[in-house]
Amino acid sequence: MTRWIPAAAAAALTLALPPLLSSSHLTIYILLGLAAIVTIGLSLLMGYAGQVSLGQAAFYAIGGYTAGLLSVHSLPPVLGLLAAPVVSAAFAVVVGVPMLRLRGHHLAFATLATQLILLSLVGQADWAGGAIGLQGIPRLSVGGYEFAEDISYAYLVWAAVALTMLVARNVVASRPGRALRALATSETAAAASGVPVGRYRLTVFALSAAFAGLAGGIYAFYLGYIAPGSFPVLLSIEYVVMAVVGGLGTLWGALVGATAIVLLVQVLNTVGTQPGMPSYAPSVLSYAVYAVLLVLVVLFLPHGIVPALRVRMSRVRG
Amino acid sequence: MSELLQYLITGLGGGCAFALVGSGLVVIHRVTRVVNFAQGSFAVIAAMTASTLLASGLPHGVSETLAVAVGAGAGLLVGLVAIGKPGTPPGASLIVTLGLGVFAYAVEVLIWGDQPRSFGGVPGAVDVLGARFQAHYLLIIGATLAVFAGMGVLFARTDVGRALTACSANPYAAKVVGIDVRRMGLLSFVIGGALGGLAGVLVTPIQLVTFDYDVTLIVGGFAAAILGGLMRPALTLIGGLLLGVAQALVAGYGNAAYQMEVALVLMLAVMIGQAARRPIVQEEVA
Repeated sequence: MTRWIPAAAAAALTLALPPLLSSSHLTIYILLGLAAIVTIGLSLLMGYAGQVSLGQAAFYAIGGYTAGLLSVHSLPPVLGLLAAPVVSAAFAVVVGVPMLRLRGHHLAFATLATQLILLSLVGQADWAGGAIGLQGIPRLSVGGYEFAEDISYAYLVWAAVALTMLVARNVVASRPGRALRALATSETAAAASGVPVGRYRLTVFALSAAFAGLAGGIYAFYLGYIAPGSFPVLLSIEYVVMAVVGGLGTLWGALVGATAIVLLVQVLNTVGTQPGMPSYAPSVLSYAVYAVLLVLVVLFLPHGIVPALRVRMSRVRG
Repeated sequence: MSELLQYLITGLGGGCAFALVGSGLVVIHRVTRVVNFAQGSFAVIAAMTASTLLASGLPHGVSETLAVAVGAGAGLLVGLVAIGKPGTPPGASLIVTLGLGVFAYAVEVLIWGDQPRSFGGVPGAVDVLGARFQAHYLLIIGATLAVFAGMGVLFARTDVGRALTACSANPYAAKVVGIDVRRMGLLSFVIGGALGGLAGVLVTPIQLVTFDYDVTLIVGGFAAAILGGLMRPALTLIGGLLLGVAQALVAGYGNAAYQMEVALVLMLAVMIGQAARRPIVQEEVA
């Protein structure tokens, strides 16, 4: 029973928060939820398939463009939202079949390359709005209900976070999930005990892409505008920072990591935009924070915040 | 014909930058097994430093040399953080260098702002068989060939080079015979920083350099280095030159917008081809 308490508390908190937030804080809350969805997927991928993806924002972009393009061409927006994760996952399967032969830094560069190619192609595609981007994406509506206000997006996003957590948790807890954990420890040993290594790695890759695609779809409806510049390489690196800082291969770690980074960068942003601060201060501060946190955590807290806290808690109890 | 020759020369010039950045990656990877994501930043830092020094009135040559030294210093700092803590696995070091690459953005924007920079190189243009190009390309190509020749001598003929090679072949055995593996690792980062810095100061006169230009350089450099499996400088030179020429031909006869894709697709193809030839059972990296 006790293990459900944190989940229930988190759920209650997320439900209670939106009406209490000011509009600028609500925006941060929504963006935080989106980042959390992507990070949960990336944390699964890095924690279980053991691979750094430096192109996760590519799947986010695909989700955004899928949702945006479908609804701009006057299809029902809800269809676009449903298609976003599906198309992202399908793309992941197509590029994953040749690419997942690669390991380690090779795969890191391959995912980076995938994102750069995608961004460049989208930037030259007139049907996708080219470098200017896709404008006039309608607000999301389901049946007769239109998601007109920010607060409705806040609930939508956090419902999506809950769904993502649930799917990820069930995957991890299932029999294939145990196989994945074996895979994360030793690929050779897992293969020797009959785990279909290649298929599972591809599945996790597609699942993490589907999560990112879902977040991208919501993002497109929320902002109503997307462009290649909305999905820079640095965004992919941000997701890596969030996943690593929170703790790889732990779902709560992804949530904690995303929350910690988004809030911290937001605080620094507020500091950086104070009167008297130079105009470059916000970007310098956020680059520095990503960098310093990533380096310090990798060197001194190699498993991330959440696993480190767990170890400490069990020591206190035991 | 003269058009083709012109594309070849400019392509070789651009390819030299990739070869230099790539050889920096190779030197560091050989000795430490770390793939240094901050490699492109060395070039950007050196380029920005050179532009500042030139603007403050220092003569050419002195400014560029100092800038390369600053690149080497940046290499040492990255090395200290990435491999300074004993027991850091290469995979973790990769993420550390990624973080340091982002940190370099903060430093660069803080010092130089986010506007692109450039400075003049060798003045004038050269005519060869009807092809016309900036004389600076000859300096880039000449300097790169000299550096690669120098590296060949360093690794094959000097004690330091042999020690570096020993560390790359078998770190444990190197330690046993009294080579300080950690110091050699740091030395490789210094060499990598200098090579990256050299690429930066050479390429700035023909290419505007912004703080995030490192992504282009690191991708091109990695694509060049991957041809030799990140281990062989000579193949890196060939890879870089091929890549530069391919890009120049695509830009000249096709569409300049697809230059980046050439490097990326080439890199993916080589990597996937190499992976297909690799044995199924691999050593486990714990």
